Amino acid sequence: MARRRKIGNAIVYLILIVMSIVWLFPFIGLVLQSFRGEYGGMVNYLVPKEFSLVNYQFLFSDSSKFIRWYTNTLIIALFVALLQTLIVICVSYALSRMRFKGRKALMNIWLVLGMFPGFLTMICLYYLLKQLGLTEAGAVPGLILISVASSGMGYYVCKGYFDTIPKSLDEAAILDGATRAQILVKMIIPLSKPIIIYTALVAFMAPWCDYIFASYVAFGNENGYNVAVAMTRWVWTNDYQGYFTRFCAGGILVAIPVTILFMCLQKYYVEGVTGGSVKG
Amino acid sequence: MKKFLAIVLALCLVVALAVPAYAAGDKTLKIWVPDATKEFTEKQVATFMEAHPEYADYAVTVEAVGEGDAASNMLTDLDAGADIFNFAQDQLARLVAAGALIELSEENAAIVAEENDAGSVAAATMGDLVYAYPLTSDNGYFLYYDKSVVSDPGSLEAIVADCEAAGKGFYMEINSGWYQPAFFFGAGCTLTYDTDDTGAFTACNVDYASDAGVGALKAIVALAKSPAFHNGSSIGNATNAAAIVDGTWDSGAAKDLFGDNYACAKLPTFDLNGEAVQMSGFGGFKLLGVKPQTDEEKLALCDELALFLSSGEVQLARFEEVGWGPSNLSAKADEAVQADEALSALGEQLAFDIPQGQYPGDYWSLATALGDSVIAGDYNDADDAALLEALQSFQDTCISYAK
Amino acid sequence: MGVNAREAGPIARFFRWLGGDLGEIGASFAQGDWKSKLSFLIMGFAQLCRGQWVRGLTMLALEGGILFYVFRFGWDYLRHILTLGVVETHKQGRITVWGDNSFLILLYGLLTIVAILALVYLWRLNIRQNREAEQRLAAGKRLPTNREDLASLFDKNFDKTLLALPVTGIFVFTVLPIIFMICIAFTNYDATHQPPAKLFTWVGLENFKALFGIGGEGFGGTFFYVLGWTLVWAFFATFLTYFLGMAVAIMINKKGIKLKKLWRTILVMTIAVPQFVSLLYVGKMFASDGLVNAYLLKWGWIQQAIPFWDNALYARILIIVINLWIGIPYTMLIVTGLLMNIPAELYESARIDGANAFQTFRKITLPYMLFVTGPFLLTQFIGNLNNFNVIFLLNRGRPQSMSLSNNAGSTDLLVTWLYKMTINDSNYKIAAVIGIMVFLVTAIISLVVYNTMPSVKDEEGFQ
Repeated sequence: MARRRKIGNAIVYLILIVMSIVWLFPFIGLVLQSFRGEYGGMVNYLVPKEFSLVNYQFLFSDSSKFIRWYTNTLIIALFVALLQTLIVICVSYALSRMRFKGRKALMNIWLVLGMFPGFLTMICLYYLLKQLGLTEAGAVPGLILISVASSGMGYYVCKGYFDTIPKSLDEAAILDGATRAQILVKMIIPLSKPIIIYTALVAFMAPWCDYIFASYVAFGNENGYNVAVAMTRWVWTNDYQGYFTRFCAGGILVAIPVTILFMCLQKYYVEGVTGGSVKG
Repeated sequence: MKKFLAIVLALCLVVALAVPAYAAGDKTLKIWVPDATKEFTEKQVATFMEAHPEYADYAVTVEAVGEGDAASNMLTDLDAGADIFNFAQDQLARLVAAGALIELSEENAAIVAEENDAGSVAAATMGDLVYAYPLTSDNGYFLYYDKSVVSDPGSLEAIVADCEAAGKGFYMEINSGWYQPAFFFGAGCTLTYDTDDTGAFTACNVDYASDAGVGALKAIVALAKSPAFHNGSSIGNATNAAAIVDGTWDSGAAKDLFGDNYACAKLPTFDLNGEAVQMSGFGGFKLLGVKPQTDEEKLALCDELALFLSSGEVQLARFEEVGWGPSNLSAKADEAVQADEALSALGEQLAFDIPQGQYPGDYWSLATALGDSVIAGDYNDADDAALLEALQSFQDTCISYAK
Repeated sequence: MGVNAREAGPIARFFRWLGGDLGEIGASFAQGDWKSKLSFLIMGFAQLCRGQWVRGLTMLALEGGILFYVFRFGWDYLRHILTLGVVETHKQGRITVWGDNSFLILLYGLLTIVAILALVYLWRLNIRQNREAEQRLAAGKRLPTNREDLASLFDKNFDKTLLALPVTGIFVFTVLPIIFMICIAFTNYDATHQPPAKLFTWVGLENFKALFGIGGEGFGGTFFYVLGWTLVWAFFATFLTYFLGMAVAIMINKKGIKLKKLWRTILVMTIAVPQFVSLLYVGKMFASDGLVNAYLLKWGWIQQAIPFWDNALYARILIIVINLWIGIPYTMLIVTGLLMNIPAELYESARIDGANAFQTFRKITLPYMLFVTGPFLLTQFIGNLNNFNVIFLLNRGRPQSMSLSNNAGSTDLLVTWLYKMTINDSNYKIAAVIGIMVFLVTAIISLVVYNTMPSVKDEEGFQ
């Protein structure tokens, strides 16, 4: 029995090691490319012939607005994380704890709305934002507004989590004279740390990858770009030859805060997503 | 007490949308050019404004927007788009059809026609009207190669053989409607469209479904079969190139890549049914367009500024600073331009090219489909009849775009 | 007869409701005092007179605001909505005189309609409030004070407070654009009718007819080809990821495996690094001259580069595999958490019964997982049907083929194909039509599936 388990474990270790290599390989590639000193285009070897910091120096130099783009994205991500979490909590609480007319219909409609191909409506959203003056130079608040405005539909996981908190707690609190608002603030929220962190984390990560709609909204104004819009130009258009290593360096810089945050909060992320997905 | 829901709903609507659209100040002028020429353009604009104090109250901004993005942004929102913008000629028909370009005044059209090469003027013309100012005449492709690998740049078969022997790659984007005609036109086929003043396509002149077309397609298939072949014409993405079909915009990157072995030449010949024929291709152009204007004075400024930015002297300065090959006849004759290696290789090639006219957007995707089918090996074992059938369907689809 | 009666049911009910409602409005007007009567015009007037200034002021402000918006801004657009504009853009000399902008007329016209509907709703609410107030007063009861009104928003009516902002946001920035796009399907908005230089107008069902018309010339074939791949992709992307992710989680959870946290952390990196970086890089790795081919050639494992992205079958397989790279960590995390939730007694009794590892998995773990993660799987499946990023960042739907029409590629999903249509051809009208059809199909399927899921059905049972 012990022998069989040992063999089994050895196989598992082997699989895990192979998987780790496969999973880490692209990141190692990215890191190595970002330190490549010679010629900036694509190459077909992994290890640079010359290690150097030139690509990072370029990003922080005056000839690139990378810092501006990075700050833009960071601002968007922080605000979206904060406001979106707030809205998701509100919606989830209302749908999980309160019973009102039209609740089921609302949930069904929201479920269905998410299935309409989103980019078809981008041009429409662009004009709504333009009317508010939130395009071009105002792209940052504009993008925050759009992300936050529709975030109510992403309540599934959070509501699922709230559903697992026994309702008897609420009833007891109501008997003690607590209002609904007090129950949410004093009882549900403290019990829901994992799901709140999960929601905020997911919201924080999304803006880093928005390249299509964000480029609509910035409409050619470099000051309104986020990192994804700016950096995908480096690989997709002919105007930026030899920017591949810079792209990798920028990618690493983008990945760092998200990765660190993710590592630190992983425990909550797991608890949140597990607790929430019980009910979807 | 449902009211609160309704209240906030209505309140937000009102607050959000009662805010009137801020009217763009009439005294601003926006220019879109690719990143590489942004600083250059800013300098030239400053020179222009100094020479024209009558426009001193206008604030001119230059933004870095690539040619492809510029065209699609103009189509998305003309109102917020640039007043003067740089674009590649393949977008002209689309822009004219969408009403995003104002035709040149008669005087400016006459100046443009007189000072620039005929191909570039044709590229800026729809029907009878000139819609844009030619900026460059260098949007063609030729061969960059590594001297140490390629011994005979004159023949495609020899180049490919050299690359195979050295374990290096020959790069050409044969799934692009821009590079693919190098074979078809070289074999003597034609594919052009007629347009009217409004940007609509009225007729298609095409004879790909012919013996010559089949011969050209066979040559493409043979090339794609080689282990040395890679589909792509961008040096930045080529990892193992010994030879690449590419344009002047990549000359800097090519020098970086090939180092001391850098060399360039016109395109090679290819084997057409046992006979070596010269590859052809498109000679393309970059253009500068002006958006329709509602204000007399601003239109006058746009006209003058665009004419200035496309003038011979500015074209020459642009060549010196960022290496864009001029379309202006006197700038072209300049010694420095004549001496430029890449541009002279292009010049040699252009003698065999046809000036790129107007093509519907669907043509480019159709050509990608044909190229992808070749690369995927769909025609590796096809006989002449099957190839002819494929080209017939290609040709019919091309014709269907002109209505 | 019976069938007819059933069919007429909802319609009859609607008219009965409408009749009752109109009757009630009439009765409110006839029986109301002068203050309530004046409130029919000046909303909130009666409430203010009765001292309910919170209700009164909000009503008044809302009426004023909406009317201001409608007359100041919206009416200019709304009055053209039936024609979408008639004044063409024209030139005086070389000066352009802009005509009507069909796009803005439609967009802001719709907004104005929404604003007017909101006003009607508020007006009805206003009448009902006044009637209730009068009836309460007549019965000798007192009216809720301002303080009570406000307090109820944090207790009994807390759901309104919570949902007001999210619902408004979704309405303006999600529902309105969708209604707009649906309207586009009934217009001739395409490359030759682009505002502001050109007008577009209503064409009824033309586009739908055209779509079925093209059906004869290969379009239909391509549509079903793309639809087929979309379904195959969504199936594999969802379930392969799910089961392999579960397998990985079980492996890491296995007794005697050390460094559990390390393994998980390594896998989870893919979630943390933005996809536009990681997928673009991975996509380039598999190019014909990319890292993978280069090393395989160097080591002599292959003689000629493998056309990962150029061969339709390879490209499809590769996309599914790369998607595993993204998806497995996510499922792994969820399953890891859930595994701990399965009651240990279940496993205990299974072991006593002599079940082996596989049997316990099949009889206990799997059913439990499927039950609790049903909704999650459904949302994953729908998400994959519309998974734009993976396809677009990896290879943009290539390779295309002469055997497919309308620029479709072998790995194009319906969404990426639609995207190409709008971007390359500005063919908004057809994109809108296809968008609607795709939307209808997915929406109906998923609603049916969703509402029959055991874990959704007995929603209350869980609490």
